[in-house]
Amino acid sequence: MSLTSGAIPVLVAVALPFLAAALVPLLWRVLGERTGYAGAGVALVSFSLLAGELGREGTVAVPWIPSLDVALRFHVDGWGLLFALLASGIGVLVFLYSATYMHGERGLRRYYGSLLAFMGAILGVALAADLVALFLFWELTSVASFLLIGHHDGDAESRYAARMAMVVTVVGGLFLLVGFLLLVVASGRAFGTETFDLTAMLANADAMRAALRETGLFLPALAFVAVGAASKSAQVPLHFWLPNAMAAPTPVSAFLHSATMVKVGVYLLGRLRPLFLGVEWTLLLVTLGLATMVVGAVLAVASTDIKELLAYSTASHLGLMVAGFGFASAAGAETGAFHLFNHALFKAALFLVAGIVAHEAGTRRLDELGGLRRDLPFTAVVAGVAALSMAGVPPFNGFYSKEYLFKAAYEAASAAGGLWWLYPTAAVVASIFTVLYSARFLALFFGDRPEALGEVHRPPATMLAPPALLAAVAFVVGLAPGLAVDVAVGAAIDATAVGAPEFDPHLPTELSPPVAMSVVSLGVGASTYPVYGRVHRAIRRARASAPALRPNWWYDRTLGGIDRVGAELLPRIQTGLLRTYAAWALGAAAALVVAGYVAAGVALPTEVGVDAPPATLVVLAVALVGAVAMTRAPSHVVGVLALSLLGFMVAVFYTLASAPDLALTQLVVETLSLLVFLLVLEKLPEYYGELDRRLALRDAVLSLGVGAAVFLTVLVSTRGPDGETALARYFVEKAVPEGGGTNVVNVILVDFRAFDTLGEVAVIVMAALSVLTLLTMRRRGESP
Amino acid sequence: MSTFVVAPILTALFTAVTALLLHRRTRLQTAASLAGTVAYAAAVGVLAWRVALAPDPVGATTYQVGGWPAPFGITLVADALAAFMLVMVATVGVASLVFSTRYVEAPEEKRFYHPLFHFLLVGVSGAFLTGDVFNLFVWFEVMLMASYVFVVFYGGPQHTRAALRYVALNLVGSALMLLAVGGLYATTGTLNMADMSRRLAEPAAYGISVEPVVGLSALLLSVFALKAGLVPFQFWVPSAYRAAPLPVTAMLAGATKKVGIYALVRLYFTVFAAAELPVSLPLPGVDGGSPLAFFAPALFLMAVASVVVGGFGAVDADSFEGVLAYSSIGQIGFIAIPVAIGAAASSPALRRLGVLAGLVYALNHALAKGTLFLTAAATRSAVGTSRLEDLGGLASRSPLLGSVFLVGALALVGIPPLSGFFGKFLAFDVAVRAEAAVAVAVLLLGTGLTIAYTTRAWNRAFWGQQSAAVGAADVDPVQAAVLVGLALTIVAVGVGFDPVYEFAEAAARAATDRGAYVDAVDPADVETGGESA
Repeated sequence: MSLTSGAIPVLVAVALPFLAAALVPLLWRVLGERTGYAGAGVALVSFSLLAGELGREGTVAVPWIPSLDVALRFHVDGWGLLFALLASGIGVLVFLYSATYMHGERGLRRYYGSLLAFMGAILGVALAADLVALFLFWELTSVASFLLIGHHDGDAESRYAARMAMVVTVVGGLFLLVGFLLLVVASGRAFGTETFDLTAMLANADAMRAALRETGLFLPALAFVAVGAASKSAQVPLHFWLPNAMAAPTPVSAFLHSATMVKVGVYLLGRLRPLFLGVEWTLLLVTLGLATMVVGAVLAVASTDIKELLAYSTASHLGLMVAGFGFASAAGAETGAFHLFNHALFKAALFLVAGIVAHEAGTRRLDELGGLRRDLPFTAVVAGVAALSMAGVPPFNGFYSKEYLFKAAYEAASAAGGLWWLYPTAAVVASIFTVLYSARFLALFFGDRPEALGEVHRPPATMLAPPALLAAVAFVVGLAPGLAVDVAVGAAIDATAVGAPEFDPHLPTELSPPVAMSVVSLGVGASTYPVYGRVHRAIRRARASAPALRPNWWYDRTLGGIDRVGAELLPRIQTGLLRTYAAWALGAAAALVVAGYVAAGVALPTEVGVDAPPATLVVLAVALVGAVAMTRAPSHVVGVLALSLLGFMVAVFYTLASAPDLALTQLVVETLSLLVFLLVLEKLPEYYGELDRRLALRDAVLSLGVGAAVFLTVLVSTRGPDGETALARYFVEKAVPEGGGTNVVNVILVDFRAFDTLGEVAVIVMAALSVLTLLTMRRRGESP
Repeated sequence: MSTFVVAPILTALFTAVTALLLHRRTRLQTAASLAGTVAYAAAVGVLAWRVALAPDPVGATTYQVGGWPAPFGITLVADALAAFMLVMVATVGVASLVFSTRYVEAPEEKRFYHPLFHFLLVGVSGAFLTGDVFNLFVWFEVMLMASYVFVVFYGGPQHTRAALRYVALNLVGSALMLLAVGGLYATTGTLNMADMSRRLAEPAAYGISVEPVVGLSALLLSVFALKAGLVPFQFWVPSAYRAAPLPVTAMLAGATKKVGIYALVRLYFTVFAAAELPVSLPLPGVDGGSPLAFFAPALFLMAVASVVVGGFGAVDADSFEGVLAYSSIGQIGFIAIPVAIGAAASSPALRRLGVLAGLVYALNHALAKGTLFLTAAATRSAVGTSRLEDLGGLASRSPLLGSVFLVGALALVGIPPLSGFFGKFLAFDVAVRAEAAVAVAVLLLGTGLTIAYTTRAWNRAFWGQQSAAVGAADVDPVQAAVLVGLALTIVAVGVGFDPVYEFAEAAARAATDRGAYVDAVDPADVETGGESA
């Protein structure tokens, strides 16, 4: 493992946000609301340190759990750096924006702390090269986003959304963990020793792929990883948490849903792409991605709220990236990596614009807004650049990466034919809807201004500057895409692609099939826009008529179902009746024991000889009569008397078996318990209630079962070693000379096994304490 | 020489008696109790250091009570497994007792609280340290008697009802255990665990038959499952946990439940695994004819049922303690799943890994559940109620309570880098390695339920509008300090997991290495005429 010169900066870049998060309570005391600027400073430091790593590649590892060979291993390469730079760069802007936008809100300490930790976790995901470390940061993003989405915790909507994001992404994370463990098992096959080192796996991607195939783990590993990635990156049908997460404050939405949280799934797919590339990978991811792209775009058109529109649009664009990475061709990797970059720029800008609109106009409803270009001219320019980029209009940056998707889809379909033509078709359909909703977003600024809309203020510069900067960068990238490729994107593509593709995005000069697809998308989209309202209503009607098509409905039903199952199931199990509890405990124990004997094939004694003396037989017979009489007793008192008959017969049996000590003890116990019973019974009603025959039958069967189990136990275990045991011999021999007592039983109790007696003495003391406690507490009254 | 083995039991016993003698002088009693707890922790620390943690540990060490040699007298055995369990108990115990000094404050409550608390520690420590099956029964009784009193402690109708169920079910358990111990003695001719293990390995040499051991061990399985609260023996858990004083519940959930798990591991892996039946048991998913082959599927079924019942129960519970009590049932299931897979495994490495995963999970559960029950206690102290519908906005009123709960809850879910992550991680690892698809599915479902009930409790109690009761709540500083200490421990165990892993690994090795255990105890071999040191 090479420790490059970049080791320290990388570690600092990742650790600094966490450190700052821990220090937020202190910072807050000094800086108050200006903590937001401190956050921006932290993000800027991380960004600069990482920018210094551009063009380098290397690994640094800090040992974490040497016994498991788990380390905080970070690997710097083009793909990780691209993602980390986007996260920290947009992080700077989001912190700056927050300082103004969140002014005067409650709970800002928690807000900034979570936001910093969140950014650190994203940087960790981007750079981690150890599966355990990667999973660590992955889960931390879920937790931090839970706190951020639920920031306005007084609103039921925020709590609902936060819990939903947590449930979906953390459960998805566990799928990822299983997928990782499968990779580790495969690495054992590939390298001889198992490793969590992702860099090593990627460096030997062919060996890993072969090992996965040989062990039959290829499909399971792929499926588990895909579920994990899809849950974070909001792929159908796990996309539903994303629009709900819009309950978060707008800067959080801009951060989580443009450059960070939702991108980690895409990032991971790009990262693991060389391990899994193959026809299964393509079929799974392209289908998943394009389905998400279509569904997201269609639902964005159905949206009524700016943030809802942007959220569905985000899901749709994530689908685009996933589909891109799904294609095995170089164009596939180019689509995924370049669109990750482009989308982060325009979508962050659009969310921040949405925040400005909501902040200044006081509403986020699309039908209450329009024609804002006069009130917010500068914002309108920013929104124009970003929205055209989102629509994929040349020469804006979103155009290029979408063009590569068309190219990858077209090439794959023309190579394979048949149903594969569905892929380019779906891509075009989704793009048409993308054009539609992008136009709708632009209409906020360029349509007619509704009369009801009140006065709209200009935003402060600190809120306008961040989206303006993003739009400017997006615009430059659109004009000169080669620049972005040279600085960061090219290296990212190299890391996610197999081989070293030449990537040279430029404006088309001839009408190739992908260009034709773009023309169709833009043309149909633009010509459909006049009937936008009808399309919008038609989708909403369709959605309302079939709730079962909405995963959100399933989520509610599942969580509600869990509640209901709990409410139905629990009273049946925890009935509060001792009868039920004892029946289960005794029945299960008896069943286990009998099953144990049967499974082991215990041989029962074949000869049943009755060689007991007649006196013993008589005593046992009387005991049996007592037992039967108890079950038929008409009252408590008679029952207790019958029971004690049984007890006294046992005492007599002990006497006959030459165990006078035991007999004496048994007599005392029987007498005392009879007395206690009689004293207590005085307080109870004299007669039993009506006996339910079914219950009686069940109890009879149960008691026979338990009796059989005990009987069997005695029968099979008393055939042990013949004659007296070594223990017995030892005790008899040593009792007098070393124990100093002639009664062996006594010597056992007070000497050989005095430790048992010590414990029993403690039990008796506590029994006395329990009586005292009961009396004291009952007298003094209530618990606190 | 090896007195350190018996030191934890004696320290706790001495403190219990002292506290009892001082029951009329409550301040002095509290001081003695605190000092005794610290001494207990120190005794446990020395023991753990000597047998496992020191750079050159002595390994399993025995103490022959009264100087009577094994197997005639009672042997105490301190090995890495016992040490691991003791450290877990001591950690929760110290926290719980310090917390109690600010929770149980009325003189008439304090009086017997402290002696009983230390008697509970006596029972738990005895159970971990004894190497004798009957003596294990005795320490179970000590532990149970103390917990009986705690369940009925407040003396109200609901406490009496809970205690009645608890006592009745555990008396059933005690009777079954006595039957099993008697049967084992009659079958093998010994009570000493090491001696029993040796005899079961060579039945012919001792003229004993091993077949009955499968059924007899199943009897013990029921008893230990009852102690651990596994379905279908879980019935006592919810009401008893709600009835007992909450710091004690932290102890019951964190420590005494683990005695059941410990006893399962100790007896099955160290003792019963020795028995090899000539036939393979006709059971699915396992091969071989040792009692482990019977134990594995039985325990697995119980574990799965526990995860389901506990998870659904916790989602439906209406109070803080209710959620946590049901959660305990489910979490014990999580502990048992890898243990069951380990028992079914034919490779020694996987078997050890199963036990290791169970132990790490148990440690996390002790810490996390201890923390959460104490958080519930602190909430009740501060707010006056722990019903979820009367709470709300607690996190904004007390960010400290919120943070501590969050740490505990996330540890329960298994979020890295908290202690709970490694429990989950290893459990999944065991399931994946054993190619146990059902186990993976159950672990996923169970964790999903865990997220569902922890986030539900969080949303209701900690977020939302502050209720009137919450608005006036203030957390006691001592209680707060204990909570912070525990939360930091959860973080520290996760972040600095390597030594914990080494310790748990040594414990798992101690549990599964029968030969070393038998050699350490070295019972006199009277019957085959072999030599003994």
